[in-house]
Amino acid sequence: MKMEYHPLVKQLLDGELTFANLPPELRAEGEQALRWVGAIDRTPVAFPAALDERVMAQVRRHAKSPAGRAWRWLLGSREIDIRFHVRPWAALGLAAAAAVAFVVVRPRFETAALRAPTYVRFIFYAPGARTVSVAGSFNQWDAAAAPLVPTASPGVWTTTVALPLGQHQYAFLVDGVRWVTDPTAPTVDDGFGQRNSVVAVAAQDGGGRAL
Amino acid sequence: MRVAQPLSDGEVVQRILAGDVEQYAVLVKRYRDRYARYAARMLGSPDAAEDAVQDAFVRAYDQLAQCREPEKFAGWFFLILRNRCFAERRRSHREARPLGMQDEAIAGPDRSDGQIERAEDRRTLERALERLTPEQRDVFVLKHVEEMSYEEIAALTGASVPSLKMRMHRAYDRLRAQLKELS
Repeated sequence: MKMEYHPLVKQLLDGELTFANLPPELRAEGEQALRWVGAIDRTPVAFPAALDERVMAQVRRHAKSPAGRAWRWLLGSREIDIRFHVRPWAALGLAAAAAVAFVVVRPRFETAALRAPTYVRFIFYAPGARTVSVAGSFNQWDAAAAPLVPTASPGVWTTTVALPLGQHQYAFLVDGVRWVTDPTAPTVDDGFGQRNSVVAVAAQDGGGRAL
Repeated sequence: MRVAQPLSDGEVVQRILAGDVEQYAVLVKRYRDRYARYAARMLGSPDAAEDAVQDAFVRAYDQLAQCREPEKFAGWFFLILRNRCFAERRRSHREARPLGMQDEAIAGPDRSDGQIERAEDRRTLERALERLTPEQRDVFVLKHVEEMSYEEIAALTGASVPSLKMRMHRAYDRLRAQLKELS
């Protein structure tokens, strides 16, 4: 039995169409859909005052921990004031030497190429799956952003995604409900007890390379 | 008489990064309840939401130096909380307890048939929402509980409007199938 709402009913639920503008033959479906969505609980939720103290107790512990302090120091940005004392003739000499070096030894990379994305192919074996997608830090964990398509080989799914330079975490979503790590890639703890797969895109002549 | 202006989020963050840890309580007080309902509807109970908000605040403190736009602390904190909710839902294959306490109160003997029917609808809808993916449930909660527009959700989450709409429309279809099964 067909279980999809008519596109106009979806527009009604989205608030982009009024009930009066719905064709008469869709009004029963629209009325039922509105009734369900209207049943959602919108009661405000407020936490007990003890939450603040629990957070602050943990934060104070983290602030005192040497490891925590080192971690924040590493992550923090700082202003560095660097001063040089040079004589004008020396500055001119250095500038001339730099110009000669630039002409003789051309830079072997181009900034624009480094900024260009690298196309990474994801391949996943999921026999019997109805849908597979890849979601990760590169697409804000949007499971709809990068669906995989089945290949000619039974059970093998693939897609190609443009990734910027850097390290990215990801996982495959099978049938819209089951998260699976990539068996061919290293994994890291996601900080909440689960594992994510990792792909790193490194700079290479003329662009990037997936590692 | 001159009234002292409260510090902006950016100013508070600067003080914390300079070593004044106690200033973090200002941010906790300011944002502790802002996304409480979102977290409760994402995780299925206020208790789970409270744990998630607590973890998210501690994590936000640890990563505060990475907050590129301290004046937009609230949006940055929301993304940390949202990731925490996603991870929790992915991890927990157990059935999250639906919000039922208010429903029980509504369904008492003095309530009208209409109220009881609405409470039953709400319970059924909660059970159907449990079966959405975290991403589908996220967009459903932001749109229909927090009553945000697609543009506002896009600005908050960084996803595109077409992608959000597609996710929402898939959620509608999935909910319809689940509601049919549960009703």
